[in-house]
Amino acid sequence: MAARGALLKYLRVNVTPSLQISSSITSPPLYVLLRRFSEEVRGSFLDKSEVTDRVLSVVKNFQKVEPSRVTPKAHFNNDLGLDSLDTVEVVMALEEEFGFEIPDNEADKIQSVDLAVDFIASHPQAK
Amino acid sequence: MGASKLSGMQKQVLSLYRGFLRAARSRPTEDRKRIEMIVSTEFRHNSKEVDRKNFQYIEYLLRLGTKQLDQLKSPDIVSLSSIKVVTSKT
Repeated sequence: MAARGALLKYLRVNVTPSLQISSSITSPPLYVLLRRFSEEVRGSFLDKSEVTDRVLSVVKNFQKVEPSRVTPKAHFNNDLGLDSLDTVEVVMALEEEFGFEIPDNEADKIQSVDLAVDFIASHPQAK
Repeated sequence: MGASKLSGMQKQVLSLYRGFLRAARSRPTEDRKRIEMIVSTEFRHNSKEVDRKNFQYIEYLLRLGTKQLDQLKSPDIVSLSSIKVVTSKT
């Protein structure tokens, strides 16, 4: 009886530490997994301010555009005086800058700097 | 012109233009520059010279352009030159 009590006491004491040990062993990998996953998700969409800067520099470098008139809200036709053929060229330059292809029906809608930024920032393939 | 609302035909023209620029991309830099130059000159020339209401002629140019683009896409084609047959607008 005494031996059994001693054994139980020994076990009871022993169980808690072993659980703590096992939980401390399992938690780090989970952490790492979660962190990796969230980084992956964040990495697939570009930061909007970065996209804005890059779009602005592409538009400013376009030969027919006067750089001083390029603002984050500038409309290609109304503010920058570009025609529809120029707009196609600007959008193609943006495709090259961000390394992905913009389908025709989407490209036709991109008529201003902010529309370009919105589209690219919401596109997971933009690099 | 109001660029926000494009007609179906305008969209076709822009799509063809985009197609040419895409095809030019796959070429070496020098060829690419030349192709872009020729294509852009041709489109701009027609955008000024062709009456926007001359749908039949624009249709014809679209068909011609599509055929030329198909040829340009083929890897056997090494270059592009422009022979301009200036037809008077009717």
